[in-house]
Amino acid sequence: MTAGTSDLAIAMRGIGKRFPGVVALADVTLEVGRGELRAICGENGAGKSTLMKILSGVYQPDDGTLEVDGAAVAFTGTRDAERAGIAIIHQELALVEDLSVAANVFLGRERRTAAGLIDDRTMEAECRRLLALLECQVDPQARTGSLRVGDQQLVEIAKALSLDARILVMDEPTSALTETESARLERIIARLRDRGTTILYISHKMDEVFRLADRITVLRDGRHVQTVDRSATTPAAVTGWMVGREIAGHEFHRAAARGPRLLEIRDLTLPWPAHPRGYRLANVSLDLHAGEILGIAGLMGAGRTELLETIFGAGEPTWTGSMRLRDAAVRFTHPAEACAAGIAMVTEDRKRLGLFPDLDVAANVSLCSLREATRGGLLDRGREEALVAGPIRDTGVKTPGPHAAITGLSGGNQQKCIIGRWLLTKPAILLLDDPTRGIDVGAKAELYQLIDRLCREGLGVILTSSELPELLTLADRIIVLAEGRLTAEFSRAEATEQKIVHAATGG
Amino acid sequence: MPEPSAQPKATVLLRSGEWALLAAILIAVVLTALVDANHSYWFRPLESLRDIARNTALLGIFALGATVVIIAGGIDLSAGSMIALSGTVAAATMVALAPAAMLGFKPVGPTIVAVACLASLLVGFLVGTLHAWLITAVRLPPFIATLATLVGLRSFARALCESTTAAFTPTKSAMINVSDPLFKAVRDNVWIPVAVFGLLAFATWLILTRTVLGRHVHALGGNEQAARLAGIRTDNVKWFAYCFGAMTAALAGLFYVANESVAAPVNQGRGHELNAIAAAVVGGCSLTGGVGTVPGTVLGAIFLRVVIDAVSKIIKTGADVYEGLIVGIVVVIAVTFSQVGQLAKGGRRLLSGPLGLCAIPTLALLCGAVVAMTATGAAGLASGLAALVFLAVVRAWESRGGRAPRPS
Repeated sequence: MTAGTSDLAIAMRGIGKRFPGVVALADVTLEVGRGELRAICGENGAGKSTLMKILSGVYQPDDGTLEVDGAAVAFTGTRDAERAGIAIIHQELALVEDLSVAANVFLGRERRTAAGLIDDRTMEAECRRLLALLECQVDPQARTGSLRVGDQQLVEIAKALSLDARILVMDEPTSALTETESARLERIIARLRDRGTTILYISHKMDEVFRLADRITVLRDGRHVQTVDRSATTPAAVTGWMVGREIAGHEFHRAAARGPRLLEIRDLTLPWPAHPRGYRLANVSLDLHAGEILGIAGLMGAGRTELLETIFGAGEPTWTGSMRLRDAAVRFTHPAEACAAGIAMVTEDRKRLGLFPDLDVAANVSLCSLREATRGGLLDRGREEALVAGPIRDTGVKTPGPHAAITGLSGGNQQKCIIGRWLLTKPAILLLDDPTRGIDVGAKAELYQLIDRLCREGLGVILTSSELPELLTLADRIIVLAEGRLTAEFSRAEATEQKIVHAATGG
Repeated sequence: MPEPSAQPKATVLLRSGEWALLAAILIAVVLTALVDANHSYWFRPLESLRDIARNTALLGIFALGATVVIIAGGIDLSAGSMIALSGTVAAATMVALAPAAMLGFKPVGPTIVAVACLASLLVGFLVGTLHAWLITAVRLPPFIATLATLVGLRSFARALCESTTAAFTPTKSAMINVSDPLFKAVRDNVWIPVAVFGLLAFATWLILTRTVLGRHVHALGGNEQAARLAGIRTDNVKWFAYCFGAMTAALAGLFYVANESVAAPVNQGRGHELNAIAAAVVGGCSLTGGVGTVPGTVLGAIFLRVVIDAVSKIIKTGADVYEGLIVGIVVVIAVTFSQVGQLAKGGRRLLSGPLGLCAIPTLALLCGAVVAMTATGAAGLASGLAALVFLAVVRAWESRGGRAPRPS
């Protein structure tokens, strides 16, 4: 690094950040020159968002130092970062949908008239000027919630401009945009850079990164891997750095005893009325056999969860196409029906969609098969304990007792309880939606063994994961979704991380 | 990584909060016995017991309904109006079937009384169904749906009362006298409402703790989305909860008619829904759902009635004026105490910043005014000033650690 300190807009050195049980960032150094457009690449969970949240004052780092324009800073909140000229546009937009566009742009910094009243006219005029700069035809008085996602994003950018931000952080800004919207955003980004704004751009999409960036930084597993000039590298090299870890040591060699076909899905299409793309899933077809693990790869928003929810009868009932379970056409309108037909689903967000914090361990496990624990219509405590003892032992839950609080268990043990809950329903098909998210490495290995064993016992498993090595370790076949479409299918032998990332980024 | 200790706390019959509530009830009784100038707890214990038992049973019956709705993650604001409607439906049914006997204050016969009571319970079921439909199919928030019936049902009951009396008796009337000996018997024998309350409490306890349905009620209130994704028909569970809530209010409405020998839809049961919610909350129910017990609610109802009775014994005349004030203060204090652990752990400050500064005179004024009105002006002034000094000391003590931490 030859540039003198004074030419650096941002200097983050030796940054470390730990969350309970996870090291999110370790010794990451990031130096960005003034007016530079830096792309930051990495897989889900690589630490990109955490690093940006530290830069914008959302999190405080545990180790390391932060300099902005050559001066050391320590942000205690986003306000501090804004004052230093840093604005961030999060992946999930932070707009108040019921307020007007102008009100959102000036939220918390409202302009006032001499009498101290809110000065809507000035704010709207200023907002119109900013939006014009962004090629955005939106009326400043419009209700923000009525805007398309692409326009909402521009409102966020207008907000950043109104702050006179010299440093702009964008976290996967095009993930929800159509192609025309993305093209417009690229033009705007180029213009901002020409005005001298320093931009940090987080993206999965190699084509965008290579069109826009001056330099590219790759993070992996919370560590800095590479920082290179765009002209000195290729998309294949960057993808290689992103995924380049050793594949976890355990390989499962199942006897390839593929059983009869359990599930057949043809041309499943799930409309998305209020969205420019028009669909969440388009023409997805797949087969699942007994004794097989089918992996589903895809980026966030590719439609993995929607696909599983549709199969399970938990999503929007508006889908078209055909679904056959053991050669009989089915269409579930409530999870209870799917459950009765022998399908089980372990949901993606354990805390929000799976766990009952007020119920104890036994009640969490027995919930779906409680009727087996009754005697004469009343629950029998002894029977319930006997019922849950099996799955608690089989899945290897470590708990002080069946009546311990579920919230006292570790994430991995909670997840085993939920899998145990579903095993009690004796399913033929198990849908696992990112089952190891937020679980530590040791518990992950135990879950892999459990999933592998269940499969060998004849269960058909569909597994999604945001971590490719997991899919490569476990799955017999992998299908790849990109923006709601099935873009590739690989057998275990064919699949590599590069091929999957290529198919998942639509490239 | 050390496993966190997750051993459940031993529960002997009652949970710890419920033992505390039981102790609070006993303390309130002893204090009343000592402070009351007439010492009616000493000299006429049976009479006092009868009063409290009757009032507790009547409140408790529909507080059990509120408990089930609250554990299921909902709220039912319409109980008071449901009480009025239930009484009116029973009385109107009797007027329609036996107008002459009703007008002449004569017995109408057990069959007609039974039909009238069944009609009330059926209306309770219908109202519960309406609530569940508004909430699950129309997707109104429970607060809105039952706010609508809170105002709507009472008006409906008044209209029903007037049109029934206009149709079957010579004059239109805003109330219907009920003097059948069966209702009189219920009024004169306190053990009947108490026994009904006891049986209903046992049945509710059995449903909530020992049946699949009860477990599903807890699951629904604890995490509705997860419950649906676990294959629970959450709409049906809600249907049960709101019907249970409305039907217990309907049952209570029958006892109010018996107690007062009249169905008076204008003000029977007015505001009682909040007492029921208060009893449930004091008894440990969480308004976010999933948490609550029947013993808690029973003790909560007893506690509320004992405190209200204590105030009437101590103040003597016009004590009913203070009933709402007492309920309000008791709810705030009971729920605050149940959070004492969190307060201490989280380092939360009650009186920091400009809001805390303004809260100090507000609370002192409230304290002084209440004492001044119930005792003497001088006592009010003294206690108001004492509260002011006390709160100022609390604020100073809280801010000893410097600036408050930034809320995250």
